[in-house]
Amino acid sequence: MTIKNVIFIGLLLLGVVIAMVPENTTKPYKLTASQMLVEVQGAAEMVTADEVAHWLISKDPSLQLIDVRTPDEFQKYHLEGAINIPISVILKDDYRDYLDQGIKMNVLYSNGTLASHQAWMILRQLGFVNNYVMQGGLNYWFDTIMNPEEPSATSPNEEFAKYDFRKAASGVFGGGVDAALTPPTQTSADKPKVIRREKKKAPAGGC
Amino acid sequence: MGPLVPQEIIGADWNFFIAFVVGIGFGFVLEQAGFSSSRKLAGMFYGYDTVVLKVFFTAAITAMLGLLFFSLFGWINLNLIYVNPTFLGSAIAGGVIMGAGFIIGGFCPGTSVCAAAIGKIDAMVFVGGIFLGIFIFAEGYPLLEDFYMSGSMGPIKVSDVLGISGGVMALLVIIAALVMFKLGELAEKKWPREEY
Amino acid sequence: MKTKYMNPYLAGVLLGLVLLMAFFFSGRGLGASGAVKSVVVAAVDVVAPEHAANSGFYSKYVGEGKSPMKAWLVFEMIGVLVGGFLSGAFSGRLKWKVEHFPGITANRRLVFAGIGGILFGFGSQLGRGCTSGSALTGMASLSVAGFVSMMAIFGTAFALAYFLRKNWI
Repeated sequence: MTIKNVIFIGLLLLGVVIAMVPENTTKPYKLTASQMLVEVQGAAEMVTADEVAHWLISKDPSLQLIDVRTPDEFQKYHLEGAINIPISVILKDDYRDYLDQGIKMNVLYSNGTLASHQAWMILRQLGFVNNYVMQGGLNYWFDTIMNPEEPSATSPNEEFAKYDFRKAASGVFGGGVDAALTPPTQTSADKPKVIRREKKKAPAGGC
Repeated sequence: MGPLVPQEIIGADWNFFIAFVVGIGFGFVLEQAGFSSSRKLAGMFYGYDTVVLKVFFTAAITAMLGLLFFSLFGWINLNLIYVNPTFLGSAIAGGVIMGAGFIIGGFCPGTSVCAAAIGKIDAMVFVGGIFLGIFIFAEGYPLLEDFYMSGSMGPIKVSDVLGISGGVMALLVIIAALVMFKLGELAEKKWPREEY
Repeated sequence: MKTKYMNPYLAGVLLGLVLLMAFFFSGRGLGASGAVKSVVVAAVDVVAPEHAANSGFYSKYVGEGKSPMKAWLVFEMIGVLVGGFLSGAFSGRLKWKVEHFPGITANRRLVFAGIGGILFGFGSQLGRGCTSGSALTGMASLSVAGFVSMMAIFGTAFALAYFLRKNWI
């Protein structure tokens, strides 16, 4: 067989094969299962409601709250400055710029933590960074920030500090203004660092 | 996995080195195929030598199949591959002007640089012409900008426009190419010329 | 037909693999006229920097932190020069000459080569890429622009072939 015929037959066969197989439209996961396990166990993706409250009050420019609940729920109530990316559409390319970036610190929240964690898992497996989950979700937010419970007299001092801060924060978010707006030190110290990344260059080309 | 540089799997610093290596391969194959000869290139349009048709389509098909199979195996993410955007009006007008340049000058930019590398003086003049042509376009850009930007359709793919899968599109292109190769060989028999 | 060149289909497969390699490593295809554009832009920027900064065309490529010569295609085209030279040396084809159909003079060939180059350079900018950058690379990635460019270039060349036959046959 001549080179020509080998090439002709080869191309034709490959063409038939590629025409018959389904296209690969999956977005490839970048983290392996064991890498994910390490990340999940480290729980580094968690931020507390207190931290979120503090960033909101101090108008931290790097904070971006992302509400992963349905648009209806979002309409009824959402945290200040939050944008709505329902978990069902999280893979759409329209939202990619929000979720895969190196400037902001995205904090995902839902009512509890189930949906926000599910969303986070998917995003993390795609290799995206700078996404976090608000611990306890909105339910916990209401219980602690909006309606803080006074600690019992025997509680350690830091519990009182937390309470004072929550009381003050709830004032900002809707209740009566009370004590000073300084958060307990240990909550503000461990603010996750935004991983700076060079803005992804779209693959260039042209002639 | 791929493409490696846009995903930062290998550093962006390597990109220019890769470009250089790719260029060497490009230049070597063009020259080996005979694309350094304008008479061989022009033969395509008179039927006496259809090497352009054969090399061009075989290359396009090979790369097309490669991309589709790499995507199938998960080796490359096609979303990160540059797809040149379609501006219908300027693409057709530009193509028509380039086609005229091809038959008049006997080269296209890539082949002319390759031919200049082995000492073809006509190719060097052609390259000089390209410089001048681009300079004229650049200076006239304010007049042309509206037309240049009109009819933007974004980076669309033929398979999406036709509503078929990339694989089926590739098979259609392969069949069309094999038919054209056959016609090309018939033409070469009908209008035989000696090699240069 | 006896030929001193590589089997065209084999050459095509090799060229396709080079193109695939560019896609796999850099996420982009081949090109040629873009490198010349970079040189033109850089030259204008040196000779008339103010003009370059104010022009709608050049200003896209010059300015703070932008260096037109540090472009992928520039390095690729340097590679093409090297690769073409190596191939010519390898096959004994290094020779200064004006190649032309015996029925025309060398000067006529050079004039037409120059005109063709000008047209190709102009057209490549208007059409956003030449035979390699738009047509070949575009077809491989199944882009509409690639197929349109390919048909426009080859269609026009075929259509005009009759009028220029004296130059070639």
